[in-house]
Amino acid sequence: MAEENSTGPEFADEAIGHLDALYRGALRLTRDPDKAQDLVQDTYARALRYQHSYQPGTNMKAWLFAIMRNLYWDRFQKANREAVSIDDIGEFALYDQMRDDLGEGPEAEVLDRIARGEVVEAIEKLSQLHREVVLLVDVEGFSYKDAATILGVPIGTVMSRLHRARQQLQKDLFAYAVESGIVGGGLNRRS
Amino acid sequence: MYDCDDCVRRLDQLVDKELSGPEVEEIHVHLDACGDCTRRYEFQEGLKRLVKVSCSEERAPAMLRERLRQQLNS
Repeated sequence: MAEENSTGPEFADEAIGHLDALYRGALRLTRDPDKAQDLVQDTYARALRYQHSYQPGTNMKAWLFAIMRNLYWDRFQKANREAVSIDDIGEFALYDQMRDDLGEGPEAEVLDRIARGEVVEAIEKLSQLHREVVLLVDVEGFSYKDAATILGVPIGTVMSRLHRARQQLQKDLFAYAVESGIVGGGLNRRS
Repeated sequence: MYDCDDCVRRLDQLVDKELSGPEVEEIHVHLDACGDCTRRYEFQEGLKRLVKVSCSEERAPAMLRERLRQQLNS
């Protein structure tokens, strides 16, 4: 009993050190600040309860994200089977679209003209399975292996979901780039 | 020798730093010789960076931090 309650200051400090990342992740998952706060709070409560299962020196951030992801799916996704499906939109590369549009391959600097809020919006429009893999690999920088462990799927599944997520994201960003005049949406295309 | 298709197929893994050392070497041999794939690679890296930066701005509310600190130290 005494052992279970021995929250060392190291555990608490390290866990709190990941708070911003978890909160941002929760925002992306729930798309609602109140729900995000609840989710984070419950994640820490569960982490505290199961801290004996955490091995010091291993990846605490991955462990916390796995707890949060499981809580989220238990709570919010059970009743929402729709969001689980993945549409195959076919190959889509923003680079190729812009190159066709501009007549030459776009420099990476063109991305500086895309508003960050638009990117967040495009990510939040992704289906659940796509959103969480982008969150883990692109935003948090987890390896495919860690992402696979957190999500409980094989590495190949992480790769294919990530690829499709990026296609969808690029499709949305291309639509934005056309709307905002960054590219001409075919107007510049030479025949 | 990798061609453009080989390169495009490995682009996700390249930007995610998930390729093995020999594969990275091989792909850079192609990149050094192919301007289009180099631009594509830099573009893809830029996109990954943009996603990260765009989603890294919010901070957890101070109240939440305080509450958790108390909870963890109780």
